[in-house]
Amino acid sequence: MRQNSTAAPSVATIRGDFPILQRQINGRPLAYLDNAATTQKPRAVIDALVNFYERHNANTHSGVHTLSEEATALYEEARARAARFLNAPSPRCIVFTQGTTAAINLVAQGWARHHLRQGDEIVLTVMEHHSNLLPWLGVARETGAVLRYLEIDGEGRLTATGREGGGIEGAVSRATRLVAVTHVSNVLGTINPVKELARQARAVGACVVVDAAQSAPHLSLDVQALDCDFLAFSSHKVYGPTGIGVLYGKEEYLAAMEPPASGGGMVLRVERHSYEWMEPPWRFEAGTPNIAGAVAMGAALDYLDGFDREMLRRHEIELTGYALKVLGKRADLTLHGPADPAGRAGVIPFSVGGVHPHDVVEVLDGQGVAVRGGHHCCQPLMEHLGERGVVRVSLALYNERQDIDQLAHGLDRVAAIFRNDR
Amino acid sequence: MGSTGLPRFSAMTDNADDLYRDVILEHARHPRNAESVANPHKRARASNPLCGDELEVTLALDGETIAAIGVQVRGCAIAQASTSLMSEVVLGKTLHESDALGRAFKEMMEGTRMELPEALDSLKPLEAVRQHSSRITCTLLAWQALGKAARQEG
Ligand SMILES: Cc1ncc(COP(=O)(O)O)c(C=O)c1O
Repeated sequence: MRQNSTAAPSVATIRGDFPILQRQINGRPLAYLDNAATTQKPRAVIDALVNFYERHNANTHSGVHTLSEEATALYEEARARAARFLNAPSPRCIVFTQGTTAAINLVAQGWARHHLRQGDEIVLTVMEHHSNLLPWLGVARETGAVLRYLEIDGEGRLTATGREGGGIEGAVSRATRLVAVTHVSNVLGTINPVKELARQARAVGACVVVDAAQSAPHLSLDVQALDCDFLAFSSHKVYGPTGIGVLYGKEEYLAAMEPPASGGGMVLRVERHSYEWMEPPWRFEAGTPNIAGAVAMGAALDYLDGFDREMLRRHEIELTGYALKVLGKRADLTLHGPADPAGRAGVIPFSVGGVHPHDVVEVLDGQGVAVRGGHHCCQPLMEHLGERGVVRVSLALYNERQDIDQLAHGLDRVAAIFRNDR
Repeated sequence: MGSTGLPRFSAMTDNADDLYRDVILEHARHPRNAESVANPHKRARASNPLCGDELEVTLALDGETIAAIGVQVRGCAIAQASTSLMSEVVLGKTLHESDALGRAFKEMMEGTRMELPEALDSLKPLEAVRQHSSRITCTLLAWQALGKAARQEG
């Protein structure tokens, strides 16, 4: 393990922050390599949840009593915290949702279906997660808009030109009204040039929606630098609790959006036959929100931003390089995705010749190694790769070389069990 | 070193031994009745989109009796072995008997039945799959297709 000379904490110290990493799985120490599905939670996040329920629990908004004021203040502080995490110009750009899926559906239902028409083009990529695909299929069906997919090259990099080595000139056309793109692929780990896509989209006046579910844990996000119109991420993938996430939207876009859900907490005034909504973002948060979840997500963002993010990214690239080297040596594996470790965000998919991904995952589990196998909610991408499923290794800030070595050891076991000469 | 201080790598035995027994691996590698039946009396498919597994059963009948069976499966080792084992068991049985065996097997895998009927002795190695709840469906796919084929008209 590389030691950093500055005050940077060692991976051993970081691991100590995560109680679950003490667990044994099937008699082995846990090597948790399924972080793209969800990350583990540090003590600080678990404490924040407990502390909220033990000390501050009450419903938010319009409560006058002390606890309600405390809960409201904590909830709104979490909104401001999320705004800082994204470098959003204001907390008013931050809508709390259940997660990325809910956030994208909110844009689809609240904005796109009211602003897209017959023949308008929605540009996606072939690597989209079903959560950033099905909502747009729905919008296309309702409005008559058409979907157009950007393809990838042999290393899983976006290409609008069809050339190897990327190149995304001409990704949008005059007909493009919406570009919905994942910042980082949850299968390939590819980091997409969203800033350049946004620039092209701006030139034709198209709206840009960024699925940041997989980039938020790995890259510093800056919505102003990206110049996207919407961006979504999930707390549970950035070391926070499940059931909460964020939709960032530019103020003018949020103002032009209809709330698909209505009810308590989002109206100023209701009469028998009329009503007046609250301002965004509260307009989009009907019902009692996930208050404790938002507060604990704030603690997760504090935790993550408490590190030197550049230092974390360097560690991750170094570990990805190590994993690519270890896995690349194995003749029985086919690796997918960018060859350059810096071109991916800690995600490595592969298949094991002749062995079904679920058999691989099962055997690895027996060795205490947690990875995921299957289509990873990316069926169009699987079809493109010619795979029915792949095994995916995905890293987080607490992973170390030992985890990769344990994985390699598990793959020896897979090879021994499924050796064809038995 | 893991923070628990426990060894991360040790002797190569674990619960995979229980699941991937030699019988299972042998059937997965050399599936029986893997050729599809020409001009079948009945044919049916089953699939599990979650795993991408797909399977087709073709049957030739002599009256009510399964005179020939062919099963093509694309799936994990558990699905392949279950399919192969099933095909051996039902060959020579009537559709009605096979259906009853299929039900008994399903009940056993889902935990509502303790013992397999004697006719299913050869499927005993699959019992270990019960400990892996996400894989139980893999063992049932072939029976599902067989049941569908049996219920077909004509
Ligand atoms: C790229 C991507 N988009 C969207 C999602 C959906 O996130 P959630 O399930 O938290 O709504 C995921 C999570 O699996 C993802 O990886």
